[in-house]
Amino acid sequence: MKNYIIQVMVTFCMLSNLSTLTAQNTSKRVLNIIVFGAHPDDCDNKMGGTAALFAQMDHRVKFVSITNGDAGHYEKGGGNLAKIRRKEAQESAKRLGIEYTVLDNHDGELFPTIEVRHQVIREIRNWDADVVLTHRPVDYHPDHRYTGVLVQDAAYLVIVPNVTPDTPPLQKNPVFLYLQDHFQKPNEFKADIAVDITSVFDQKMDGLDAHTSQFYEWLPWTEGKLAEVPKNEKEKRAFLIKNWSRPISPKVRESLVKWYGSKKAMTAVHAEAFEICEYGKQPTDEEIRQLFPMLNN
Amino acid sequence: MKKITFLVLIAMISLGSSAQEQINKPLRIIAIGAHPDDCDSKFGGTAALYAKLGHKVKFLALTNGDAGHQNMGGGVLGKRRREEAKKAGEVLGVEYDVLDNHDAELIPTLNVRHQVIRKIREWDADIVLGLRPNDYHPDHRNAGIVVQDAAYLVIVPNVTPDTPPLKKNPIFLYMQDGFQKPYPFSKDIAVVIDDVIDQKQRAFAEHESQVFEWMPWTMGMDENDIPKGKEERLAWMKNVYLKETKLDQSGVDAVKKWYPKIDISKVKNVEFFEICEYGKQPTDEEIKYFFPMLKQ
Repeated sequence: MKNYIIQVMVTFCMLSNLSTLTAQNTSKRVLNIIVFGAHPDDCDNKMGGTAALFAQMDHRVKFVSITNGDAGHYEKGGGNLAKIRRKEAQESAKRLGIEYTVLDNHDGELFPTIEVRHQVIREIRNWDADVVLTHRPVDYHPDHRYTGVLVQDAAYLVIVPNVTPDTPPLQKNPVFLYLQDHFQKPNEFKADIAVDITSVFDQKMDGLDAHTSQFYEWLPWTEGKLAEVPKNEKEKRAFLIKNWSRPISPKVRESLVKWYGSKKAMTAVHAEAFEICEYGKQPTDEEIRQLFPMLNN
Repeated sequence: MKKITFLVLIAMISLGSSAQEQINKPLRIIAIGAHPDDCDSKFGGTAALYAKLGHKVKFLALTNGDAGHQNMGGGVLGKRRREEAKKAGEVLGVEYDVLDNHDAELIPTLNVRHQVIRKIREWDADIVLGLRPNDYHPDHRNAGIVVQDAAYLVIVPNVTPDTPPLKKNPIFLYMQDGFQKPYPFSKDIAVVIDDVIDQKQRAFAEHESQVFEWMPWTMGMDENDIPKGKEERLAWMKNVYLKETKLDQSGVDAVKKWYPKIDISKVKNVEFFEICEYGKQPTDEEIKYFFPMLKQ
């Protein structure tokens, strides 16, 4: 009998070992999330809160900026600016508890070429991603739109061994999700998943704060508001919150109710929402709860 | 005291000195088509109305149209079409630029994007009109993509740094088409052009290589049936192109929105425009400001 119990235990251990062996296995403990933005700061702005929640639960998150952001300033530019922005991205990653890669494609000149598609495929494979997130290909900036196209075009191909054969393929097509935007055509963003980020909102703002060249220099300049940027830390935080936190829309609130129940959903102050892309794995609600474990809290 | 008034005046003048901000200065509009004649047929009437009110309009063809003929082509045709475009521009009271990209070979490359960004900036545009990226001709679709991709980037100094950026993202509008997918053209703005329809037709007729040669050939017409005399040609043309179309319900609604007092039964010719999501998003009040003919 004792023998039998030991045997069962050994088998059980082997099984659970197996389940953690491949990162893409759904019952494993550590999830691998990869987010593609066009510029260093896009991922932070769209899912910095959710990323911080994943990191708190010891899951692995990587932000990838497809361009190096070397055009995003009024008095700096080129390699010099790219260097500043890469450093800001690293600081943001440190504050959120994640990894950050900035690819060296030029800002304002991104096109959905095969070369960049292969860069994206390699990043997804090397991260052994369970979930891939990016912009919708209808966002306001051409770099955002083409980032969306590139990541869409990597879906499915990540499992094809003859595509980008220098990097072993994934076993399964990951779940692909879109980050939220407000564009209406040809269809509006759909909040399939909503994450309450109220508890990590400050940390998200810490992430944005790391991108000094953007949130305190370039972006206010484009709005003609450079003179309004405060100098001291407390006022800077208020300035960030005022300009970069959005109220929860009725549709995102509805999605929060679905995932958290109405009582908790009504107390949420800040949220991030995601739309399921049709080109990746189509997850059930059950699978979404496995991939977004913060929804179970 | 006098000095202070003077200083205040100077301050006010310099505050309003950007061409995109002044109130009493002419509006600046650039319409971007794929071929010489695209802007004329979709925007010619509204352009003539702007010109009459003293505003500045430029038409830009991204290709030189050097493929649009049954027995002419290349540089010879490109030259002819550029000359036709200039004449059409004179009839409407607008400037006309024809870029030298080849017809039927337009691809939304970085180089063409930079050409477009330069043209929008040099014109100091308040309004940019383009084609939707789901129009029938690949050049039209790609022209639409290039113009969309210039939106926002026109304000970025590090992009195309040989030409100073605009201070503000202009309003970007689409010119009308009949395509339904992925969604039908939205008639956000309506301009009744009955007062200038004759001018629009005369401008269109200046594109002789197209109106009296190429397009009839594509429609299988016998060239001997096309009259030779100028007035006869104009009369013939009016029966073939730019004919008034009966307004559908969305057209009626749009005209009524912008011309609340108009007798809709008397409206014959209308040009419609859709607001692109990538430019400045104007309020109705701002649309009335940027389309001063709506107040007439």
